[in-house]
Amino acid sequence: MPKRPFHPSDEPHPGGAKTAYRQRTEFEPGALEPERFELFEAPRYEFGIGPAFSRRAFWQSAGAGILLTVCFPLRAQKSGTVSSPGEEISARYLFEESGSITGFTGKVELGQGSRTLLTQAVAEEFFVPVSQVSLVMGDTSRVPDDGGTWASLTTPQTVPAVRATAAFARALFLAAAAQAWGIGAGELRLADGAVAGPQNRRMPLFEAAKLAKESAPPPPAERKPVPPGEWKVLGQSVPPVRGRSIVTGAPIYASDLRLPGMLFGAMVRGPHYKAKIERIRGAERLPASVTVVHDGDFLGVVAPDALTARAAAQSLGVVWDASTLVQEAKLVEHFKESAREPVFVEGARYPALLQKGDAYNGYFAAPRKLATAYTTAYVAHVPLETSSAVAVWEGDNLTVYYGCQAPFLTMELLAKTFRIPEANVRVVASDTGSGFGGKQGGLVAVEAARLAREAGKPVKLCFTRDDEFQANYFRPAALVEVRSGANPNGQIQAFDFHNYNSGASGLPIPYNFPSYYLGYHPAATPLRQGSYRALAAVANTFARELHMEEWAVGLREDSIAFRLRHIDDARLKEAIARGAEKFGWGKGSGRPGVAQGMACTIEKDARLAFFVELQAGGKDVKLLRALMVFDPGAVLNPDNLRNQITGNVIQAIGPALFEQIQWDETRLRTRRLSQYRLPRFSDVPEVEVELIDRREIPAAGAGEAPNTVVAPAIAAAIRRATGIWVRDLPLLPALAAALDARRAPRGQRPPAR
Amino acid sequence: MPVYRLTINGTARDVETAEQTLLLDLLRDTLGLTGTKYGCGEGQCGACTVLVAGKPVKACLTTASQVAGQPVETIEALASPQQLHPIQDAFLSHAAFQCGFCTPGMIMAVKALLTETASPSTEQIEERLEGHICRCGTHPRIVEAVKTAAKKIRAANSAEEGNRRA
Repeated sequence: MPKRPFHPSDEPHPGGAKTAYRQRTEFEPGALEPERFELFEAPRYEFGIGPAFSRRAFWQSAGAGILLTVCFPLRAQKSGTVSSPGEEISARYLFEESGSITGFTGKVELGQGSRTLLTQAVAEEFFVPVSQVSLVMGDTSRVPDDGGTWASLTTPQTVPAVRATAAFARALFLAAAAQAWGIGAGELRLADGAVAGPQNRRMPLFEAAKLAKESAPPPPAERKPVPPGEWKVLGQSVPPVRGRSIVTGAPIYASDLRLPGMLFGAMVRGPHYKAKIERIRGAERLPASVTVVHDGDFLGVVAPDALTARAAAQSLGVVWDASTLVQEAKLVEHFKESAREPVFVEGARYPALLQKGDAYNGYFAAPRKLATAYTTAYVAHVPLETSSAVAVWEGDNLTVYYGCQAPFLTMELLAKTFRIPEANVRVVASDTGSGFGGKQGGLVAVEAARLAREAGKPVKLCFTRDDEFQANYFRPAALVEVRSGANPNGQIQAFDFHNYNSGASGLPIPYNFPSYYLGYHPAATPLRQGSYRALAAVANTFARELHMEEWAVGLREDSIAFRLRHIDDARLKEAIARGAEKFGWGKGSGRPGVAQGMACTIEKDARLAFFVELQAGGKDVKLLRALMVFDPGAVLNPDNLRNQITGNVIQAIGPALFEQIQWDETRLRTRRLSQYRLPRFSDVPEVEVELIDRREIPAAGAGEAPNTVVAPAIAAAIRRATGIWVRDLPLLPALAAALDARRAPRGQRPPAR
Repeated sequence: MPVYRLTINGTARDVETAEQTLLLDLLRDTLGLTGTKYGCGEGQCGACTVLVAGKPVKACLTTASQVAGQPVETIEALASPQQLHPIQDAFLSHAAFQCGFCTPGMIMAVKALLTETASPSTEQIEERLEGHICRCGTHPRIVEAVKTAAKKIRAANSAEEGNRRA
């Protein structure tokens, strides 16, 4: 038997990130699993402030109205790929005499429409207009822990939870009114914010809620959510509920918050990516209004205004002991050297190992073989609002206002960092200027809290753009090695797929290969890395889809025809067929350098087929038009879904073509927007979105999946336009290198990989 | 510290502040006009765009002293309590945003554009907004919103013109 060429070393993983995140998500049975949580770094700091004594009342007064908490055990989820959100569903609704309903949710709004979508769900189930519903989101002292806003789970998990709990409450109201009126609940229904009965009887929800507190829980048959066929609010293009506020500049993001007596913080991180503080000079020359906070490798300042804080941070003379980083050019080698074997974990949402048959020997036995390798660079999220938080201490009670994705994880991180009980910590998530996975950590909250602790006053810390690059985590770089073997007819029989470092999401294949090995090898990373929109599914789908394209080209077969003979899933087939028709697949414009490319996948239960047409000229590529066919099952808000998909396609252009984090011995070379190219208006093609709405199928989340298919379709089109296979993301620098290598005289060409 | 006479959104006031104080910090921290945003601090993203004497200016690269004596206009002054500005209205009707963080800067830049060019082409719109980053990827909606706004403003202007002549 041939020796396994992809054998990684069995050395223990030097990164070894055991974290609060990991504990919370890995060891609680049934808890939500954030995408690739193990990529989180260990907490950066630990600031014990000693034992704390006071406990805060967990639930704050909800104001006038009837607060109903619905809590019941959850039966097993139907969908196999989504783990259940805990042992029970709990939800809180506040009913006021005015008729308004407030829902309390642990989810937050990052710009992806969760506020509008959850508002729709509440309105649908209580039969009230959207305008009568408001939400309290992400305030840990007021809302249930719904898990972080990540992994596209709001749609497949939180919406059903809201619908189920609201339906339960609705049944309680009907039962209460029936009892009060002495008639059968079957004769009653909800209409216009009230229970309605025969002879124009009406009981407002506020009154019904008062009575319902005493009612016995209704039998399960009577508490079913409104069936999709009868939806009046869900399934509609309800406009963003905070739209008017947004266009007037009124929303208060964390970076906008001002509290009485608030001071401004700034962090001192120095020029190196990883460094320890040796000496600090110049603190004595700072104005008296400035407080320097130095605690281990934590160094920051607090001042009465932002200008003074920044100036003070810059003027401190710090001698750093910098760590040398693994060279960029040696990264792939480094991943292979440090990699561990994939391990199958039962019940994981993103299993690191999926196997069927004997792909390893199947590859060697196959008469036709293909072996290729792909890489992706580290990329930054660049949320337009940098990470920002305002921290306030009252004794040993801490409140942090933070534009974040995971308020409860931040609460836990703060409690651990300062060694205080979680009950002493309140995290209030504000709406935030986007996240894309970059605001799941709590670094800015910890740093703001540390500064505020020292200053004895509320402190606002808004990361500078440099802080965001230097201190936050990136999307992990990846090496993906793929080998596959086909029979004489070009039907793939064995598929051997190895992701190094970037993760397990997107490993499952949409193809009917009789044998496969799909593995994720954790490796040591020189840069901080963590979650990112669709995370590893981008690298994995890029590698898999481009590999499929290489087969098709090698066999002189159409990209779609080749795929279709490997696909069984009827929905995916339909998405591809519809797209090919609508896009005009194969109908070339005839213009020189213009070519089409496509890719498809099943990601987070959604079916996607993506088509792109581009023009390649020299080292540049101009995207001309694109089409995404998207089948998520039920479409809950068509316009918001289109906005999400279009936006995700446009965002994905960056890491596909030009975004990459670069570094030298000890420093990042990409620390400002002027050093890090992002998609701008001139990069954006015409983007069409075709939705396939299947009301009867539970809705899949859509905030991430479109990210996965953009790069491989572009790379396929570049191959058709230029004859060059570009297997590294971002594609433009790799294309330029390939063109340079072509022109280089014989003997000076770098060896092909 | 020196005192500068600033005219912000039509209101003149004397502000005592350091010479190097950025217009962005002054608007946000001193005056509480937080619709103007920090995105990069180097004029790359456009989130801090305000109008100074009608021209788009990056407030993160402008000091308070530089705008003394000139009218400064921010997103907060665009709508009246009763009515949105047509540009805001168009952004709203096209849902030309997601997180909304870039929106104020975009809208201010568009206001300057439409003052200069009543019916900008797609290319002119894209060229003018090239210095603005939208991370959520709502670019096509923004272009459509600008066209809708231009149309509305032209219609309103010609109606006004008609009234004046009548």
